[in-house]
Amino acid sequence: MSDARFTTDGKPFLRVENLSKFFAIKSGGLFKEKKLVRAVNNVSFVINRGETLGVVGESGSGKTTLLRAIAMIYKPDSGNMVLDGETILENGQIRRRPLGQIQMVFQDPDSSLNPTMKVRHIVSEPLLPLEIGKEELENRVLESLETVGLGSEFFEKYPSQLSGGQKQRVSIARALTSRPKLILLDEPTSALDAVVQSQVINLLVELQRKYMLTYIFVTHNISVARFISDKLAVFYAGSICEMGSTEDIANKPMHPYTSTLMKAFPIPDPAKRTLLQTKIFGEPPSLVNPPKGCKYNPRCPYVKEICRNKEPPLDEVQPSHWSACFFSKEIFD
Amino acid sequence: MNDKEQSLLRVEELTILYHSPSGVIKALDNVHLEVRPKEFLVVVGESGSGKSTLALSIIGLLPQNAETQGKIVYKGYNMAELSKEEWTKYRGTEIGMIFQEPLSSLNPVQKIGGQMLEALQIENTRRGRPNKVYNYSTRGIVMTESKPSKDLETKLTGQIRMLRGGYKREALKEVYDWLKKVRIADPEGTAEKYPFELSGGMMQRVMIAMTLSQKPSLLLADEPTTALDVTTQAQILELMRTLMDSQDTAVVLITHDLGVAAQVADRVVVLYAGDVVEDAPVQELFSKPLHPYTKGLLKSYPKGTKIREKLETLPGSIPDLRREIVGCKFADRCQFVNEKCRNDRVQYVEAEKGHYVRCTLYY
Repeated sequence: MSDARFTTDGKPFLRVENLSKFFAIKSGGLFKEKKLVRAVNNVSFVINRGETLGVVGESGSGKTTLLRAIAMIYKPDSGNMVLDGETILENGQIRRRPLGQIQMVFQDPDSSLNPTMKVRHIVSEPLLPLEIGKEELENRVLESLETVGLGSEFFEKYPSQLSGGQKQRVSIARALTSRPKLILLDEPTSALDAVVQSQVINLLVELQRKYMLTYIFVTHNISVARFISDKLAVFYAGSICEMGSTEDIANKPMHPYTSTLMKAFPIPDPAKRTLLQTKIFGEPPSLVNPPKGCKYNPRCPYVKEICRNKEPPLDEVQPSHWSACFFSKEIFD
Repeated sequence: MNDKEQSLLRVEELTILYHSPSGVIKALDNVHLEVRPKEFLVVVGESGSGKSTLALSIIGLLPQNAETQGKIVYKGYNMAELSKEEWTKYRGTEIGMIFQEPLSSLNPVQKIGGQMLEALQIENTRRGRPNKVYNYSTRGIVMTESKPSKDLETKLTGQIRMLRGGYKREALKEVYDWLKKVRIADPEGTAEKYPFELSGGMMQRVMIAMTLSQKPSLLLADEPTTALDVTTQAQILELMRTLMDSQDTAVVLITHDLGVAAQVADRVVVLYAGDVVEDAPVQELFSKPLHPYTKGLLKSYPKGTKIREKLETLPGSIPDLRREIVGCKFADRCQFVNEKCRNDRVQYVEAEKGHYVRCTLYY
């Protein structure tokens, strides 16, 4: 097993090693022990420039926390991060905040756009800490609005005057103004209707090509993830349970959870009615008291004794295809 | 539409207008729809297509500012003419409904067991059973006894005394049985919990149990799985499908997701801007969609791993429903648009047997 997940010929654009983010929760009594929510636990991966890493998983699996820890909105508890050759996080200590280089697009444009600000001010906000002149700032705002297909007529509008798709375009324009290298997309199309979703996905793919952008795309929609990603990481209870190229995972999942997730996803094709045939057990685990051993063991149809006692490592079960299951090969080969 | 006698619910020329300060919104426009007994019908539409309005009009829960024109015929009765009092007899017991947000449908200050009992006591009263009506309150379980009556209002009158022994066991058994039916692993523990202690999927199960314990002939479900995860969604849909089949309940499931429709429906109805644009058996709708909107919608779903290819999409967005639109509402976005589409009201025709479409290309 190689330590550098997704080893690349050159230097990777982003290297994340053993990234963890825990949250302490109050447990009432004065002398009660503090409990930890292990939202992101020891996550490692590598992305090349211009690639998209799709992150899929259920709600509460730590997808959003991962993005926020990478953007350093949350201070990570441990881990290392190297962005474009520069160490930004070392042993859980922030070495340098990559101002303007990492941007985020959030799920719900209604709550991520300030309703009292005009579009021009929303889009120019990421430039404020960069101390850019007024004229340059205007130009940059117009440029990014035009890139997402909105013109200067939107300058003076408020978010409430825009449709859902237009709002999400403004969010994307805001992420682009500081000319970032890495864009973290947190369910950017989940709140949109299918047709608007396809328009936004097309826009994202086009922008990526034009500016060599690197994306981390978090979604619970497997077909969107399959469409847009080069690589996939499947999250379960705060850790990656399977990772590999999108092609490999979609065609041949090697972890029981991924396989169930794929079958449970409603494909718009009545000839492939997998959803009703799939037997799904239980519910997502608690992150405060996760099950002992493999965190998926209470729901796994293939569970054996060892799964209840020992946590399976994320092993390379096939070239560039990792799975955290003791029986990947036995079950899926 | 030839077998009128067979239909459980028939919506005829239904138009719903909302009067708002900014004008009159035509949420539904001359809608025709039919639900046969034991059928699993899925209504698909984007936001603003009028799909929730359709559900609310069928169960008589439209807001004050709504104006209804047309007929909603359920088992031969026109529901659009029912008074508020008459509705209380049918709502829940004949036509049940599950909403998107279970947390806002359940009572936050009452335990699950108590809410289940309330549902069961309504069922008992309706069936005119010698009434053992249970309350599950802070005082423990109390029983209300009243004479059999068709009037639900009398259910709370009568003697209240503490339930013990056999009565208590009987009451609890019924609650646990229903929780077991919706595959809640620990019915005894769950009955003692408050809604906020349950996950979204568990709450939706409780909602399904409460609704189905009324043995409705028709169940409306408005986006019941939209707030849930994919795996939980699959569990809930499978549960609904199984229970419907075993109880002979017809379902109208409302969703924005064509994927859900493809996976569970017998028949699919597509709504666009208040119009029913297409109505067909599920296999047929997906293999041979007729309306340009349905075709466009289907193509906008990403399929396979064709990395970095363009997704097909529809231009523009849905029209402003405050505006009076004479011709086809989809005309501005349609690639097949012609003279006919803009001038007259587009007819709703049976293009093939059992496959209805509202488009000038087919007549």
